[in-house]
Amino acid sequence: MVGTFNLPDVGEGLTEAEVISWKVTVGDVVEVNDVVVEIETAKSLVELPVPFAGEVRELLAEEGETLEVGSPLIRIAEAGSEDGPEAGSDQKSDSQEKKPAERKQADSGSSGSGSPESGSSDSGGDKALVGSGPKADAAKRRPRTRPTTLDLVDVPGDAQRRPARRDAESQGRGVVDVLARTTPPVRALARRLGVALGELAAAAPGRISREDVERFARDRGGDVRAGGRRAAGPDEHGFTAGRLLREGPREEEVEVRGVRKHTAINVTRSAQEVPHVSVFRETDITRTMELRAVLREDSRYEGLSVSPLLFVAKAIIWAARRNPQVNATWHDETYSLKNYVNLGIAAATPRGLVVPVIEDAQAYDTRGLAAAITALTKRARDGKTSPAEMQGGTVSITNLGPLGLDGGTPILPPGQAAIVAVGAVRRKPWVVDDQIVPRDVMTVGGSFDHRLIDGEHAGRFVADVARVLEQPGLLLD
Amino acid sequence: MQPIQLLAPDGSFAEDEVYAPYIRALGDDVLREMYRSMATARRLDNEATSLQRQGQLELWVPCLGQEAGQTGVITALREDDMVFPTYREHAMALHRGITPEELLRQFRAAGHSGWDPLEHSFNVYSVVLGAQTLHAAGWAMGLQRDQAAGRAEDELVVACLGDGASSQGDVHESMVFASSYGLPMLYFIQNNHWAISVPVATQSKHPLALRAHGYGFEGVRVDGNDVLASFAVAAHHAPQVREGNPQIIEAVTYRMGAHTTADDPTKYRTSEEVESWKAKDPISRYATWLEAEGHADSGWFSEVDAEAKDLAADLRRAAMSMEGLELERVFDTVYAEPHRQIETEKAWLKDFEAGFAEQTGETEGERR
Repeated sequence: MVGTFNLPDVGEGLTEAEVISWKVTVGDVVEVNDVVVEIETAKSLVELPVPFAGEVRELLAEEGETLEVGSPLIRIAEAGSEDGPEAGSDQKSDSQEKKPAERKQADSGSSGSGSPESGSSDSGGDKALVGSGPKADAAKRRPRTRPTTLDLVDVPGDAQRRPARRDAESQGRGVVDVLARTTPPVRALARRLGVALGELAAAAPGRISREDVERFARDRGGDVRAGGRRAAGPDEHGFTAGRLLREGPREEEVEVRGVRKHTAINVTRSAQEVPHVSVFRETDITRTMELRAVLREDSRYEGLSVSPLLFVAKAIIWAARRNPQVNATWHDETYSLKNYVNLGIAAATPRGLVVPVIEDAQAYDTRGLAAAITALTKRARDGKTSPAEMQGGTVSITNLGPLGLDGGTPILPPGQAAIVAVGAVRRKPWVVDDQIVPRDVMTVGGSFDHRLIDGEHAGRFVADVARVLEQPGLLLD
Repeated sequence: MQPIQLLAPDGSFAEDEVYAPYIRALGDDVLREMYRSMATARRLDNEATSLQRQGQLELWVPCLGQEAGQTGVITALREDDMVFPTYREHAMALHRGITPEELLRQFRAAGHSGWDPLEHSFNVYSVVLGAQTLHAAGWAMGLQRDQAAGRAEDELVVACLGDGASSQGDVHESMVFASSYGLPMLYFIQNNHWAISVPVATQSKHPLALRAHGYGFEGVRVDGNDVLASFAVAAHHAPQVREGNPQIIEAVTYRMGAHTTADDPTKYRTSEEVESWKAKDPISRYATWLEAEGHADSGWFSEVDAEAKDLAADLRRAAMSMEGLELERVFDTVYAEPHRQIETEKAWLKDFEAGFAEQTGETEGERR
């Protein structure tokens, strides 16, 4: 009887090992568990004990040779009974039981040796659990011939075992929702919308997406109210399945285009590129409001909009003259100072936010500026602002007053270093000469490009704008 | 914090007021049985390691060098004290009557486990590091409720873990539960110095037994290579544990072998270190003492050696004849009754396995 010991996988999922040194030579007699060879795997140096006793007949690998797991390593002939009766007898009884399997193994495993051992067999070594078995196969799998699909399998008694909640989900249609392939949030959504996932799974196999559930609910339309779960009214938690904020789908995807898209691009670019800094100041603009009342009565201003915005615009031009830094564009290596003010005025329009520009605003007198603002705001409201009118701004104003707000931190239009934000004009208690008196108060502030404008510059500029609004007489100089 | 020691490496016995009396009270039968357990465990270890090297086991996890702590503690406990082992408690398992063959079944992948946990009050091996400590705490909470409902027994629950698992979150949670609920939990930490390749000094700057103080219970450190001290410490502290005072016993020992057969410890520790621990071998010091004290003679030792050898041969035969685990069993044991999802996955896998090309000479050639 001759046995072959094949190289086992001594690690977890190793595929090969190098023979480092033989501890026996042909003719040696070995006992079970005698170390015969030292091998090195990717993980470690390992001594291999033989699984059976006998005389070494053949060493099937050279030192330094790398063998695949499962390759034959050593052949051992069972010695006479005096050499290893215990082990020998064990193996005999074992081999008799296992003969067919081993023959197969020997046929495929030791073709090179040419000895008559295919008829021989012995125990353990040949049918090594790991070495020549599943692990070796797993390491180099055969190619696949076809894809595999996941088909639902029917299990007897499944319906009875289904939990009550899932029964409700599938509304007793006999489809098991447990197997509707989807994620917990989508399951929750389906529950809220009163969609039976089982029904959906039956109609469209595969993973159920949020969109699938929504489409299903939408397509069902009136069903939701008439025959669906919504008509059933609230449950014990006061939760009405399917009830939304208003009529319509649960969520809808809206395409971004036009002004919205333009705005998004601009503010994103500006917010990412420009370090913004914002400052604010509460300002008593009672005198400006008085002046405004006077101008409104003036026939020269008939038909023109004489709003606080007009005076803010004048104040900005005045302050820009004294604070050149705010009227500039940053170019990294340099920055360009403008000796003019192209005043952008942010306007909320039906199409969205637009910022039309009054070119050379410093060149207008007060009435002319009022006329320009009036025309500009009208065109904006009518949605007629042309793209050209929105180019070239150097400083902008955003008027938060109409929204009832007092302040905000606007995003700078690209290329500008300052945007002034003014809030609503409110009658407020104000201290004048140690007396508390009602005054018209407005918050003046804005955002600035900090690369160019420190808090000090921004503060001085905002203070100048506020000073003019407090003392519009300054505009006379 | 010096570990409690009764038996020095040279086999000499040190008297101790608290712990020595527990040993003096033991008869030859118990003393000999402890030796037999240790010797059997060691023989099992050697044989199983060989079987793995011969491709007959997927993996083996040796407990070489840790036999004393395991044997001492389990011997001191009652047979109905429920043990939640890691995957290395072979000496404890053997003591509870689990056969070597049953122990190997899982490592040959011939079964998910080899024994009935209830029959032996010994849970299946947990391969998930530290998870058994939570199972143990849950079991102890169950006991507590049984007792509240009028059950008379006062068994305790042993949660085994190593120095490596002491860093697991599960272990912390388990100890918090044990403390909060006053559970009858004995945490048996075998500090074998190495968490695979991470030394214990990296895991803990203090003796692991001191961690007990953080949870508000007691911790004791024992020489885990001293079977007598391990016995005495467990015997002394078990009654307190039964009353709902959790305890840690840290057995300081050394993993003489590899972490598993897939590990090569020479890559991360020195042979000097291993040699220094070889000198502290738990079995030889105990044999010296047994013989010196007249508890056993050389004839008896040869008898045990012969038994152990027989056991190894039986084990080899038994392991070879174990049938492999049918893949279907993996699915069939998830639920008690057929389950549609499991059945579906099973069918998928069957289909997948059947979907490979036949192995022909041609494809063989292409691969090379």
